[in-house]
Amino acid sequence: MSIDQAQKSVQQAPHKRRLKAPGQRQFSKPFRYIMLAALVLFSGFPLYWMLNTALSEDSELYGQAQGWWPHWERLIDFGDLIGSVPIFKWLTNSVVIAGGTTLLSLVFAVLAGYALSRFKFHGKGAAGFLLFATQMLPEALLVVPIYALFASLGLLNGMGGLILANVAFTMPVSVWIIKGAIDAIPYEIEEAASVDGCPRVTILSLVLTPLILPSVAAAAVINFFDGWNEFLLAKTFIAERDLWPASVGLASFIGQYLTSLNSVMAAALLFTLPALVFFLLVQRRIVSGLTAGSVKG
Amino acid sequence: MSLRIPISPPTAAPDQIQDAPSRHHMWQRLSPYIYIGPAVIYLVIFMIIPVVQGIRLSFTKTPLVRPDGGTGVGLDNYSRLLGSSQFYNSLGATILYTAATVAFAVLVGAGAALLLNQAFKGRTIVRAIITFPWAVPTVATALIFSWIFNRSDGVLNEVVGVFGVGQQGWLVDPKYGMAAVVLTSVWKVMPLVMLVVLASLQSIPSELYEASRMDGAGALETFKAVTWPHIAPTVRVVTLLMTIWSIRRFEIIYLLTGGGPVDSTNTLVVNVYRQAFSNQELGRAAAIGALGLVLSLLVTVVYFIIERRNAAKEA
Repeated sequence: MSIDQAQKSVQQAPHKRRLKAPGQRQFSKPFRYIMLAALVLFSGFPLYWMLNTALSEDSELYGQAQGWWPHWERLIDFGDLIGSVPIFKWLTNSVVIAGGTTLLSLVFAVLAGYALSRFKFHGKGAAGFLLFATQMLPEALLVVPIYALFASLGLLNGMGGLILANVAFTMPVSVWIIKGAIDAIPYEIEEAASVDGCPRVTILSLVLTPLILPSVAAAAVINFFDGWNEFLLAKTFIAERDLWPASVGLASFIGQYLTSLNSVMAAALLFTLPALVFFLLVQRRIVSGLTAGSVKG
Repeated sequence: MSLRIPISPPTAAPDQIQDAPSRHHMWQRLSPYIYIGPAVIYLVIFMIIPVVQGIRLSFTKTPLVRPDGGTGVGLDNYSRLLGSSQFYNSLGATILYTAATVAFAVLVGAGAALLLNQAFKGRTIVRAIITFPWAVPTVATALIFSWIFNRSDGVLNEVVGVFGVGQQGWLVDPKYGMAAVVLTSVWKVMPLVMLVVLASLQSIPSELYEASRMDGAGALETFKAVTWPHIAPTVRVVTLLMTIWSIRRFEIIYLLTGGGPVDSTNTLVVNVYRQAFSNQELGRAAAIGALGLVLSLLVTVVYFIIERRNAAKEA
């Protein structure tokens, strides 16, 4: 059974390592290039404009047309660029929140993924359904009752409570990633260890976890990415400005132009760059995860 | 003179290990629950109980300041909602927003995937640029678009000004609010459609294209006979995901327009939030949320009916 699973995962592998592009023609050349140029402009311009705004002079932003090219020399005095936006404090909070969410979520996910992959037990189907169905629930519906729950437990206005709430939203995805990874490991390896009298917990932590480390890392990055971007729960639960993560802090500048916009945009860039890096690390895995179901069927 | 018989250690299948009568029998039967237990208990506390609590709240009148003490009002919240034009306006905004966002995201995303499935110089860079928006945090997205759409100093007005169009309040004029929100959303989510469809396109065996070329099929015929049947399941799944995510999308809309101008982008989830945290009516908010959940479930059910019908057709 376990070998079957391993083989299955090997058979799926070619989808990840893609075949050489077939290069079939569907569009004429000029049409293709015009469309591609339009797409690049559509997708790329707002990011470029964020950079350009961050690197523009105060005087340019209001009342007169903003220049089309960034003033790179403004990069030299970065402290001045950030101005009065307390972005470093907020980014630190974001790291704490995203890091805590990731750690807690992974502990649950490794344990639950192991159970779903290696055991047959009553209620397995129900547990799987619970993990799937909770992903469909809208955050905005849950935020009201969770707010009520946290208010009665005194968990509002703290990063701990926020981490607890975040994990509920990020953990199910991690469980599926870890379960898939364990499915692909032949059972014989654990069997050898258990013949030697190793308890299961030791097998899981010392034998299995190192083997699925790439998937654990991917799940970690996805969790961190989610925790980093999360806005709604943080905005609702945390009122104190010093405890805000960067998402809530930056959002507080939208629509108010008391703080120089170039400083706000520079801060937003600092907030965006790590997200771009995380994303590049896991892009392929997210896509293969999403397509696995549909490609197979 | 010894016969050496290879003796292999008795290997047991996982199931047999579990069934073997041993001192650890009880422990063995319990152990899966010890591993899955924490996750299940966690989700029950933070997801299931809140959902039940939310549905319970929807039958009460509960002020924000005392979230645990409400008075039961029966179906009052629901009957009021179903009798108010504001609710239908909100439902309409949700459907319009979802339909427009999904349609544009899937069309543009699938088109981009088809374009990027052909080899050309600089394809990697182009693909990266088109993909980046997905990785930009929503708050940063809202920040940059609110500046682009800004009425007096935004670059969009500068650009349309070239064509002789006067300054428009893209985010404050009810004519444009929804379009601006949809455009921003499409910018953000389209790359995911592109990546998923591209992955599906690249898994089409090239022999199929060769066979189709040998049969003398044109580009459009090849698309209809080879490409589309192969990517159709993927496109359907991604459409479902996009639809569910659009129904529940909150941040882009809330941050750009806050549900305005004149409630034109007041989708159900934004409405829930405003009812709860601006009007401080948790009960009414929960009722809107419950109806929104029903909408999500309906979409999922319709999707599965379509899938089943397709599966039956193929069989």
